[in-house]
Amino acid sequence: MAAVRTRSQRVFHRVAVAAVIVITLIFLSPIYWIGSTAFKSRAIATSVPPTVIFAPEITSFIKLFTRRVQLTKPVEPGAYEASPWWEKRIYDGGERVLKVGDSVQLSQYPNRFQNSLIIAITSTLLAVSMGTLTAYGFSRFRIAGEPDLLFFILSTRMLPPVVVAIPMFLMYRAVGMTDTHIGLIILYTAFNLSFSVWLMKGFIDEIPKEYEEAALVDGYTRLQAFLKIVLPEAATGIAATAVFCFIVAWNEYAFALMMTNRRAQTAPPFIPAQIGSGLTDWTAIAAGTFLFLLPVAIFTFALRNHLLRGVTFGAIRK
Amino acid sequence: MLKRTLLGMLAGATVAFAGVTASAQEELTIFWAEWDPANYLQELANQYTAETGVVVTVQTTPWPDFQTKAFAEFNAHGDAYDIVVGDSQWLGAGSVGGHYVDLTEFFAKHKLTEAFAPATVQAYAEYPKGGGKYWAIPTEGDATGWAYRKDWFEDPAEKEVFKAKYGYDLDVPKTWAQMRDIAEFFQRPDQKRYGIAIYTDNAYDALVMGFENALFSYGGELGDYSSYKVEGIVNSPEAVAALETYKELYKFTPPNWGKVFFLENNQAITEGLAAMSMNYFAFFPALANKAANPYADVTGYFANPAGPSGKQHAALGGQGMSIVSYSTKQEESYKFLEWFVREDVQKKWAELGGYTCNAKVLESSEFRNATPYNEAFYQSMFMVKDFWAVPEYAELLTQINNRIYPFIVGGEGSAKDALDGLAADWTETFKKYGRL
Amino acid sequence: MAVLAKLTSDSRAAARGWSDLTIRNLFIIPTILFLIVFNIFPLIYSLGYSFTDFRASVSEPANFVGLQNYRELLADPNIWRNFSVTAKYVIVSVGGQMIVGFGVALLLNRAFPFKGLVTTLLLLPMMMSMAVVGLFWKLLYDPSWGIINYALGLGTFDWLSNPDMALYAIAITDIWMWAPFVMLLSLAGLSAVPQHLYEAAAIDRAGRWYTFTRITLPLVAPLLLIALIFRTMEAFKTFDLAFIMSGQPTTEVIAIRLYKMAFQEWQTGRSCALAYIMLIIVLAITNIYVKYLNRVKER
Repeated sequence: MAAVRTRSQRVFHRVAVAAVIVITLIFLSPIYWIGSTAFKSRAIATSVPPTVIFAPEITSFIKLFTRRVQLTKPVEPGAYEASPWWEKRIYDGGERVLKVGDSVQLSQYPNRFQNSLIIAITSTLLAVSMGTLTAYGFSRFRIAGEPDLLFFILSTRMLPPVVVAIPMFLMYRAVGMTDTHIGLIILYTAFNLSFSVWLMKGFIDEIPKEYEEAALVDGYTRLQAFLKIVLPEAATGIAATAVFCFIVAWNEYAFALMMTNRRAQTAPPFIPAQIGSGLTDWTAIAAGTFLFLLPVAIFTFALRNHLLRGVTFGAIRK
Repeated sequence: MLKRTLLGMLAGATVAFAGVTASAQEELTIFWAEWDPANYLQELANQYTAETGVVVTVQTTPWPDFQTKAFAEFNAHGDAYDIVVGDSQWLGAGSVGGHYVDLTEFFAKHKLTEAFAPATVQAYAEYPKGGGKYWAIPTEGDATGWAYRKDWFEDPAEKEVFKAKYGYDLDVPKTWAQMRDIAEFFQRPDQKRYGIAIYTDNAYDALVMGFENALFSYGGELGDYSSYKVEGIVNSPEAVAALETYKELYKFTPPNWGKVFFLENNQAITEGLAAMSMNYFAFFPALANKAANPYADVTGYFANPAGPSGKQHAALGGQGMSIVSYSTKQEESYKFLEWFVREDVQKKWAELGGYTCNAKVLESSEFRNATPYNEAFYQSMFMVKDFWAVPEYAELLTQINNRIYPFIVGGEGSAKDALDGLAADWTETFKKYGRL
Repeated sequence: MAVLAKLTSDSRAAARGWSDLTIRNLFIIPTILFLIVFNIFPLIYSLGYSFTDFRASVSEPANFVGLQNYRELLADPNIWRNFSVTAKYVIVSVGGQMIVGFGVALLLNRAFPFKGLVTTLLLLPMMMSMAVVGLFWKLLYDPSWGIINYALGLGTFDWLSNPDMALYAIAITDIWMWAPFVMLLSLAGLSAVPQHLYEAAAIDRAGRWYTFTRITLPLVAPLLLIALIFRTMEAFKTFDLAFIMSGQPTTEVIAIRLYKMAFQEWQTGRSCALAYIMLIIVLAITNIYVKYLNRVKER
């Protein structure tokens, strides 16, 4: 319930909102540019000044899903006429779709996208749940060597992936976990745990212990107090942690590249490879990026209320 | 030590186990970089599948990560790939490291030293150079060539002004000095037109390959490939002159041209920025593509020009096919190679778009006229020269990048200082590896 | 009083559910074990090889060389230049992220329509893979076909090939990408500040600056510091952006040098030594941050 606002406060409020709008527009303009490029034809994709009004087409998405090569000689008129509308678009672009017999060879994108979903969702669930539990443990109980343990957890994220990649690769190869979904899931969970623990501890520390104490006095078990009181209060933290962990797992490139091949590889190493021979096909890269952005954006949007809720109680502070 | 033994035992057990299961289904995996030739190879391989029933999959990964992934797998003695289409520079590491299967007998049996162009055999297959041992089948021949704007060159008004200023006709440059003049002539920043586009990316070998074009044509060398002597060779007067010329050309490039490789150099043509552009022949199909290059019809190609003394060479690119020594399907891989080296298959390979190294196919007028750039390619393939192929080539690459990049792009120091420093660096490296 | 309550609750809980001890162990031990298993092997592997001249690309065995790798690295002026470039980069980009992120969060910390949508939209930059962001920003910065010079009317100003500007250009991209991270954490912290504190301050006629420094900042500080710690660690390890966008010596951060050493030159032993040097530096820096964080929390 806002207090009565003075005039200067009202003006400031309006200026602030206006600033937010301006900042949002500027900040998002590169993203808008990427998104719109996905719908442009290759010819106008990199034009300067940028083409603002154009006839949208989905050629780039067709390219994303098919395996293609450059045409080495002009396409035969008969073959051109007989092909479906989307294939004609590919021919117009000076390329042809690879076929095995008569069936079109799909690119790896759908497979990779699916892998990304499986791996990111599972590892996020694991990282957030394990992290929350551990954070609660550190926050509420006295642990021997707590600062050192916490620092150890933090340090797991300090080694550059470059140097961890080779021993991890050898380790995985030795146990046969290369190119498996479970391999990457475990890896991403381990990677995200440090952040998850620290962030959740930051949020849980803010929740006053008095509530649980009161519940315990009322006859709740510690576990029930945790589930019924702390978790709902920590919803903001859980939402924020989930969003961040998901983003990290979703966009991870280095380990996805090293540890996986055909079966379990995720999408990030695939999208820049859309570069194509000799010339960057920005429309295809933009299309890949655009599609890949959607799940994350939708996930975050779905959680927006939790993210902004904050801690509603807060009357008692130390 | 113990760990390696354990890992080795584990790997061996996995291999043995895999061997048991592999015989059930015939499958081969070829590993290459993600680009069109890999797609052409997949199409070609589909034919093999149709003929023999063996499923061949060409697995790819983006170029920047190709080396990393391949060698990580080699070092783990993994069998994920049966055949690898490796860079020519990998021959040293591949053979000495025990990753490649020795193909010398295979070469003798199929007389491949005669079937393929001699320069390609030496460059893509032989290690050590001149040692008579072969480790790979030349698969994708490549060299650096040049694309240029025919319409700019053939414009009568331009020709007049050029002749008046430089005293000779404006035409495809035959020497580097001419190329420099032409680059200067077309350098018109106010019109957003620039003279030339050259390689400058120092992340891997782009800048060095670009420099090699100048170096080799000027009569310079990177060193003696058999004795590993570099002092006095890599910093010879010819080399210094070549480096100075390359730096001068950097003056005539479009703005922000300090970290470019094949993509940007092609864009220099498609965006109508530069009069001439250096690139590997493998990337010229994109320029001939009307949908990708609005100037496709007026883009011409020429081979690397000669130096002041008349010597003419081109920097080598390209890859060769090797059998991975940890593969569990080596017999099957041999069969595939036998099929691949057949002349009719090499012809089909060229038709699909692969850059064959088969001498007969290369010389055929059919091939040379198939595309606007094949003629220049054919000329180049008989005058190619390569970088060091020793196992520590990447260290040598880093060292030469560290010396010549600050000079060319950063404008620091002098050409002589840069190359003198390089000679010292390389001598030290060769000493470290016991070659000197 | 609390002790008494705890004793009674313990005995009651013991009768009905898991004891505190069980919960504590169950919640914490699996995570610690998991992390140890996953990190101990790479750490020991790297440490071991850092004392050898091992090269992963040849089959020769590793020879023990003691501290030679470390000595050579610390004496190499190029390495020191890499470190100073990295330090500059970390300060500029993390500083920028904190300022922009916190600033935007302050602006967002009020009720307005579509707040949820706007917040989600502002989070988009960090949702993209770094490799893709690097590619697109490289295009944006290009003087010939990039939009930035066009939009700002800068003509052919050279961003990325310019030795002086290149690092700042990359830092700007980094700030653009990660300020939303700081923003989200700041927002979460800001929304947690109890409203009644502001009301009390208003009644006491406290100025805006006073409210900010005495009420808002201290309560948001813990989350801000967590953001700072993690962003610093990540900025130090930064590789993708700088590698894709520029190749100058003035932008070669230490992670790029490490990558080249490990994966292009295959000097495995030496790269492990460099990684450990980096690790020690990051440990030292974060140690300072964490100590500060603990002091802030105790206040």
